[in-house]
Amino acid sequence: MMTRMVMQRIGIGFATLIVVSIIVFIATSILPGDVAQIVLGQSATPETLAALRAQLGLDQPGYVRYFLWLGNMMTGDLGISKAGGATISSLIGGRLGNTMMMAGFVALISIPISIALGLWAAMHPGTMLDRIVTFGTLSLISVPEFFIATVAVLILAVNLHWLPSTAYMTGEETFVELMKALAMPLITLVIVVSAQMIRMTRAGILNVMSSPYIEMAILKGVPRGRIILRHAFFNAIGPIINVIALNLAYLVSGVVIVETIFAYPGLAKLMIDGVQTRDLPLVQACAMIFCGTYVVLILIADVGSILSNPRLRNPK
Amino acid sequence: MTDQIVNKEAEEEVLAKLDAFAELPDAPPKRKFRLTWIGYVSCAVVAFWLIICVVGPSIAPFHEMDMDGDDSFLPAGEGEYGYFYLGTDYLSRDTLSRILYGARNTIGISLAATLLAYLMGITLGILAAVKGGWIDMGISRINDAILALPTIMLGLIVIAALGSSIPILIGTAAVIYATSVFRIARALGQDIMVQDYVEAAATRGEGVWWIIRAEVLPNAAMPLATDFGLRLVFVVLFISSLSFLGLGVQPPASDWGSMVRENLQGLTYGSYAAIWPALAIASFTIAINLIVDDISAKSGGSLAKKMV
Amino acid sequence: MKDDKSKSELNYQDLTQSDKDLVAKLVRGGFSRREVLKLSMVTGVSLVAAEHLLFDGKAAIAATPKKGGSVRMASNLHGPDDQLDPILFTSTIDYTRGRATYNSLVQHANDLTPQPELATSFEPNANATEWTFKLREGVTWHDGSKFSADDAVYSMNRHLGENTTSVINSVLKSIKEFKKTGPYEMKAIMNSPNSDLPTLMGLFQTKIVKEGSTGGGIGTGPYVLDSFQPGVKSVHSRNNNYWREGANLDAIEITAITDPVARVNALISGDMQMVTQIDPNAFRQVESADNVTLLSTPAALQLGICCLKNSEPGSNDDFVKGMQYIQDRKRIVKRVLKGKGSLGNDTPISFAHGPDFCKELPQREFDPDKAKFHFKKSGYSSAELFVAPVTSGVEDMCLTAQANCAKIGFDLKLKKVPTDGYWGAVWMKEPLNVVTWNMRPTANSQLAIQFGPGGNWNDTFWNNDRMGELLRLSLAETDPAKRHDMYCEMQTLVHNGSGMVIPAFSNINDGIANNIMGMPTVPLGQLGGNEWPEFIWLA
Repeated sequence: MMTRMVMQRIGIGFATLIVVSIIVFIATSILPGDVAQIVLGQSATPETLAALRAQLGLDQPGYVRYFLWLGNMMTGDLGISKAGGATISSLIGGRLGNTMMMAGFVALISIPISIALGLWAAMHPGTMLDRIVTFGTLSLISVPEFFIATVAVLILAVNLHWLPSTAYMTGEETFVELMKALAMPLITLVIVVSAQMIRMTRAGILNVMSSPYIEMAILKGVPRGRIILRHAFFNAIGPIINVIALNLAYLVSGVVIVETIFAYPGLAKLMIDGVQTRDLPLVQACAMIFCGTYVVLILIADVGSILSNPRLRNPK
Repeated sequence: MTDQIVNKEAEEEVLAKLDAFAELPDAPPKRKFRLTWIGYVSCAVVAFWLIICVVGPSIAPFHEMDMDGDDSFLPAGEGEYGYFYLGTDYLSRDTLSRILYGARNTIGISLAATLLAYLMGITLGILAAVKGGWIDMGISRINDAILALPTIMLGLIVIAALGSSIPILIGTAAVIYATSVFRIARALGQDIMVQDYVEAAATRGEGVWWIIRAEVLPNAAMPLATDFGLRLVFVVLFISSLSFLGLGVQPPASDWGSMVRENLQGLTYGSYAAIWPALAIASFTIAINLIVDDISAKSGGSLAKKMV
Repeated sequence: MKDDKSKSELNYQDLTQSDKDLVAKLVRGGFSRREVLKLSMVTGVSLVAAEHLLFDGKAAIAATPKKGGSVRMASNLHGPDDQLDPILFTSTIDYTRGRATYNSLVQHANDLTPQPELATSFEPNANATEWTFKLREGVTWHDGSKFSADDAVYSMNRHLGENTTSVINSVLKSIKEFKKTGPYEMKAIMNSPNSDLPTLMGLFQTKIVKEGSTGGGIGTGPYVLDSFQPGVKSVHSRNNNYWREGANLDAIEITAITDPVARVNALISGDMQMVTQIDPNAFRQVESADNVTLLSTPAALQLGICCLKNSEPGSNDDFVKGMQYIQDRKRIVKRVLKGKGSLGNDTPISFAHGPDFCKELPQREFDPDKAKFHFKKSGYSSAELFVAPVTSGVEDMCLTAQANCAKIGFDLKLKKVPTDGYWGAVWMKEPLNVVTWNMRPTANSQLAIQFGPGGNWNDTFWNNDRMGELLRLSLAETDPAKRHDMYCEMQTLVHNGSGMVIPAFSNINDGIANNIMGMPTVPLGQLGGNEWPEFIWLA
């Protein structure tokens, strides 16, 4: 039964991917200018534009190019960047690795911290620690992230010289040097992401605490800590996993600002660059990756919440 | 036809009896709308900013466009062409005035966008939940597609294609955030649809709209209201992110997010020009979140569990 | 801090590294009385000794280059459209990589005169219908093969012809073709005489590549391309077989940091040794840091507003006059460019162009009353100006204009659009838009590109026959007085009749670490016209 649901979801996921590719295609077509104009820039003339367009195959009608791309994509050929001529896979390869590495580190640090802090705050509501945690996370999610990043850089990099101001990687650092280079974007992202997860953990558990069966357990005399760890937590896991999944998706596709400020060569900025150079194959490839990641993560989240909630396992 | 009239009268009778029941001393307590002192303070802050939205421009010492000086990033105090309570920004404009003018843009746009997002999300979400089938499938796929794409990229594309005017900003933010509202409304709607009382109503022969109006909406109202606050904060920050990429509100109109962005350089030599608008944003969003926290703490319930 | 030495025998070599850095910074900035006093106070020596230190330092700094060390340079823009094919170079990072990897036939000196590079000599025939280029022998490509006339002719012919995608194709229209006339000799056959040809052969895109290739990173230049990731970075190491002295560093890394605040932070914290395009708001931060210097080179980097003459409202001369008088030029230079710029007189020629600059043309001043009068006469009370951040300072210049217009009752609406797609969709299409132009090596090419009648990039669509005539005549004129008169007349024509509003020129602002020596000052682009890979060394 579970496998049937999973297969169904995967099928739906493919459908979503196709819809995404169509949306991306339409969206980039309505943008002013095309890749030939961007490459030639201010120095474009009608003749050079025509010559470059012919070279890049842009003189074919839009839907023809779309179906050609779709066909290639099915066989795994991501195509060639129209803006610079490099293969899409070479452009994406390194940056995909960078993004996954950053997302992995952030998740590794923030998930345990968030769940621990959220649990603790839920177990001692109204205490000083709870108030600090609540207010702290509240403040951090309420300020634009470029503000947090800039202040962090000013203090830690420019004034104290503890860390480098950009995440410049030479490719041959030791692990310690790599950590130093990545520290600033890591710190910023951990702050931004943890704040969300802590709040949701705490809120989810507190919500469950008002259910009748929890009241029963309290009346029966079970200590509060045990109630939370043994009963409430697992029932609140649905929303918690959901927020973790959404944040992971964000770490892959949404961290444009952090990548810009720290000059970190990740996927999110690559896609924005692709949009700004109207490089359709590049934008499509990134969109497929983001959508695929999102679908997989949401699938995991839904499976997790169904497993944890018996009522949902057997829908009426 | 007479059956329906009979049903309506019976309904009124039942409702009247329920009301009477609620007044009895041992009836379950009515949901009360009480806030802690933090909640009241936050309400005051929000109310303050809403008032500034309206009267800000009239009480500002300077116009948001005034830039008669040669020096930028002046500290608070007497300056080149007047007294600046909060100092000047990078183009020698008065920071206090621009914050007062900017409230309309930042809060106004975010509020309008969130309301629009709610309208679209709830309508489509409940429609999908109640109707099911192909309508549900189609809308959900498009919704998932939009959700899967990074918000900033979508904003970038729409604004690059259609320009960066205020209606476009509102519309873009609304569509993007309607997707999350859709998911929630649909989940809530589905959950409610399988409740016994709805089955009972359906067996009674009530139409779809009655079910939505009388059963689904009242039970979903409280969780959705708390989510409204969260979405509002996200929209405010989204518009600030667009300003970071240079796509926000058009100059010379001020917008708190753009103000933070354009004055960031001043932080490096001690100017507060970027801090005041950041504080303005933070005070508004924190206040909203505190109110939301307060309300949801009192009103739990199993439906709120669906709320992510 | 040193002991008080009032003897004037204290030498530059005796200083600590941080004091040396300070001297280097002062020498670069051109030291005044105040700087001498500052040095005296910091090092604890007398004023006389301080002055001696500065002169001594200046000599030491200009001395022989040292070999060794590596630098990292961050430009301001990069992306998937980073190129290794010279004919498609359009951004600073492309030009920089080009300079490091390839050579042209001709290069520009600091005063913009053409110097031999891969071409040892360049001579015109009697009526300038043919130019003969003698090419250098003994030059090898990075892959070991020998450079010959085949490569040069192939590379230059790629810019010509119907199917070319070269961005400088229209600038080289006066050339019919390039022909090989010997193993190390080639001729340029002209369509029309052009005495400026050698200078044109030194443009950023004229790099020589191997015959049959599109560049691919194999060149004859001072540095070998080790790795290249478009939109991320490139790594280069010294070409030990370089045909002349000049590759002083062991290795270079070239990347870009698009966020302006992050770029400056990287320079100051030492992560990057050179960065381009410092925003005016960051001058204060760079100048107050001890380990870096702000290099501000006067150039004719133009901040302009185009009023298209072929549509409303630009076709109305009074409207254009109104737009010109409402520009508070002094304040724009002072507040927007923070003093690092020069007044513009609504022509594209500035004093940086040398003797061709018409200093006799009276400077147009900020005159709100005249502006109000002209706007009223034109009948317009509002207009919409398309703005994009095409270079730093443009947006703020427009905001200033908008505020001044509001004061006289004219509603200048600003429509902000992103830079990507601007050149294709807005520039030369919308009736009012902004523009920037990098400085061209000659006044003639600068005027011709923007104001030549019927030209591809005549961004105000101002077609004036006398202008076309003068452009042709001035190329052939040899008498300096007559030539100056012609350029003055051209500048006056543009000043009075074109739809161009140029309130100011920006300097070229870059930041470098204090231990970088030998930086050229060619004003055609960032960091010495992107010539730095050939010249710099580390102290």
